[in-house]
Amino acid sequence: MTRLLKWGLVGGVFLYLYLPIAILVVNSFNSSKYGHVWKGFSLKWYTKLWANEALMQAFSNSLLIATLAASAATLIGTLMAIALYRYAFRGKGLAGGLLFVVMMSPDIVLAITFLVIFIALGIELGFWSLLISHITFCLPFVVVTVYAQLKGFDRYLLEAAQDLGAGEWQGFRHIILPLVRPAVISGWLLSFTLSLDDVIISTFVTGPGFEILPIRVYSMVKVGVSPEVNVLATLLLGLSLALVGIAALIRRTDRPR
Amino acid sequence: MPLRSLLATLCLTLASQGYAAEKVVVYNWAEYIPEGVLEAFTAETGIEVEYSTYDNNETMVAKLQLQGGKGYDVVVPSTYLVSRMRKEGLIQPIDKALLPHYKHLDPALLDKPYDPGNQYSVPYLWGSTAIGVDGSVVDANSIHSWADLWDPKWKGQLLLIDDVREVFHMAYKINGHSTNTQDPAEIEQAYTTLKRLMPNVRVFNADAPREPFLAGDVALGMLWSGEASMAQAENPNIVYVYPDEGAGFWIDNFVIPAGAEHVANAHKFIDFMLRPEVAKQAVEAIGYATPNLSARALLDASLRNDPIIFPPSEVVQAGEFQEDIGDAAMTLMNGYWEQLKSGQ
Amino acid sequence: MNFRRLAIQLTLTWLTLFVLLPHALVLLTSVLTPDPGQLASYPMTLQAYGRLWDPIYAQAFWQSLWLSACTTLVCLLVGYPFAWSLARTPRVTRALLLFLMMVPFWTNSLIRTYAIKLILGNKGLINTLLQGLGLTDAPIDLLYTPFAVVFGLVYILLPFMVLPLVSAFEKLDPRLLEAARDLGAGPWARFTLVVLPLTLPGVIAGSLIVFLPAMGMFYVADLLGGAKNLLLGNIIKNQFLVVRDWPFGSALSLTLVLLMGLLLWLYARANRHINRRGGLDDSAA
Repeated sequence: MTRLLKWGLVGGVFLYLYLPIAILVVNSFNSSKYGHVWKGFSLKWYTKLWANEALMQAFSNSLLIATLAASAATLIGTLMAIALYRYAFRGKGLAGGLLFVVMMSPDIVLAITFLVIFIALGIELGFWSLLISHITFCLPFVVVTVYAQLKGFDRYLLEAAQDLGAGEWQGFRHIILPLVRPAVISGWLLSFTLSLDDVIISTFVTGPGFEILPIRVYSMVKVGVSPEVNVLATLLLGLSLALVGIAALIRRTDRPR
Repeated sequence: MPLRSLLATLCLTLASQGYAAEKVVVYNWAEYIPEGVLEAFTAETGIEVEYSTYDNNETMVAKLQLQGGKGYDVVVPSTYLVSRMRKEGLIQPIDKALLPHYKHLDPALLDKPYDPGNQYSVPYLWGSTAIGVDGSVVDANSIHSWADLWDPKWKGQLLLIDDVREVFHMAYKINGHSTNTQDPAEIEQAYTTLKRLMPNVRVFNADAPREPFLAGDVALGMLWSGEASMAQAENPNIVYVYPDEGAGFWIDNFVIPAGAEHVANAHKFIDFMLRPEVAKQAVEAIGYATPNLSARALLDASLRNDPIIFPPSEVVQAGEFQEDIGDAAMTLMNGYWEQLKSGQ
Repeated sequence: MNFRRLAIQLTLTWLTLFVLLPHALVLLTSVLTPDPGQLASYPMTLQAYGRLWDPIYAQAFWQSLWLSACTTLVCLLVGYPFAWSLARTPRVTRALLLFLMMVPFWTNSLIRTYAIKLILGNKGLINTLLQGLGLTDAPIDLLYTPFAVVFGLVYILLPFMVLPLVSAFEKLDPRLLEAARDLGAGPWARFTLVVLPLTLPGVIAGSLIVFLPAMGMFYVADLLGGAKNLLLGNIIKNQFLVVRDWPFGSALSLTLVLLMGLLLWLYARANRHINRRGGLDDSAA
């Protein structure tokens, strides 16, 4: 009975999460442009997307930025969480407060402040300004997640390791990192998700040479968002599911050994 | 002869290499220029187009302002923003001598108060805000004025555009005032008028007002002309009604920012967009009206005579174009807007 | 390079450069005079802060707070048992399920929200289903109601609750539960005395990263709720972009941050107080 309840809950949540995505997938094959009624099966949006170089370019730029920003934010955020958790230093309270400010400030305020600081520092608007701002707004999410994970652990574990002669780096690599690994992965996933869908901040900090997907999609509202975006969603979903399938397959072939 | 042709080829190669570094940076809505036009421009002139997009007129202005008017060569703001950007020195005069195709433009859409003599702006596409009706639910013949939306029988059913000036436009027109009024008394009167409309609102929408109509969630409300033609293509029951008091009109214009780096190329680009065959494609692909008379003549009769795209001239006469109303009036209106939305 | 120094230096440098400096500018802007042509100019004035007392802003604050609180609560009620179930699956399955949970969020939020509209609308999936089953005659108003807003916010923020919770449950040693059972603790006692206290850091982390961002989110509320209420996010964005009163926008933003900081601080203090009295505080050790 509890088993049934458990899988019912898991299934229910997945249904909730995937229902809108299912609609997008169906509409990517719908020949109607606005997707309110089914007007017949068609692959025209797929061929249109293939020819839409600007949209494809924006898509790959977005994936690049999201991957890099998530990785960097996870690295820096994990170090920050450890610094905040383990060490006493001047400005510690301030650092915590600033992370809170990033999480709490409205996007438009962050967007404008980032742009002003990039202009002041002479950083050219485009790839780097976009990367730095994405890393910054992802940071608090990584720190909160990793910090929570660290909080439950025994401090003495690390101190014992140090007493036994493990250096700080070794302590980090061999003790802390394995302990917080689930939180680090969570932090990366959250950052990747946040970065991939940011519009307001990106609009302000990017330059003309580097366009990312969300800006382009939100900008399409003027002429009607093209179902090509549904196609992109479908392709990304297919790719992710293929990855999951491959991972599961590798596991299965591994098992007999 | 062979030598001369060789020389000519060499010159051309050198010239095109010189051009290869040439570019023009366009800041515009996504897909707001028909497919293939940018490529055709590059193929003909050798000027690369860097196309960047924004999702909100105000965002574009704020960004341009923060960057000191630099970074972009051609931008496409709407009517009232042209006058504001002009006043604030964000854009530079356009040299008509470099625009041989300027002559195709409809004089009726030039020299408007937002930019007298079109010194700073060149119209690209234009459209209107009027009333959308789903004829299968509401009798379209019973709706002919903005005031009809105030009927209490629409309680909780209307769609309004989520924009202060668009919504206030209705009230100004009903009260017999200009949509560009800066008179605090007239603004307050409009607020009182709108207060009575609020119970009828089901949804405010600013991204795609056609969607709630197509989804069957609303059957009556404000609608943009381009959205109306898109909706009609999907559901022929959707009707677009120009209200007696006067519809709202806007023009999207090409302007050149004050700090543009490639001014000559910007002029070439704008002139290219003014060619009748290019302007014609814009109407076909985007569904808004072109101010280009020669292009209009080239259009298929079904588009040329579509009253949603090209309203009759008396409708345009009755309507009004938005201008910049200055910050004092804007602050006042926004204050009332906040009150309307928070139910006060 | 010394690890400790690296971690501390990186933290301080990054945050100073990209958060402290820019926000010092926000603070400065908030005490300047509005001047749309120049964004803001001298002389200095506290006028912007004086305007905060307008009841409209208090109303918007409560509206935002209420929506965020509802969203956080629903995320917690759904996310907690969900995360617990996930954490008890084998490691590989769990990793795959977590990955699958994230995949929907990599599609663009605008088209996802459009899809949610197609579910909740008058002729949407739910209403079609209900009418098909004969449960209702007329469509129920789901879209453009507070229900739709919470539905959409929960959709976007659920993974932010689930991920920290799963990490917390993974850390939970099953032997502790067995020990509790051996000592005669019933299911309820095992939950309240063992599971809940040990996963509390995860609950707090998850609630924080759901609650705080939800305060500033207005786009979902506008699209699904019909933009009929003003949220703080709307007001601040309008001040910057439409009215272009940057000092007032800055003042609003800073006040929001300070107010929320104060709320959190009070919460933490109250919490410490209760813990100390209850003798359950393990962080003091």
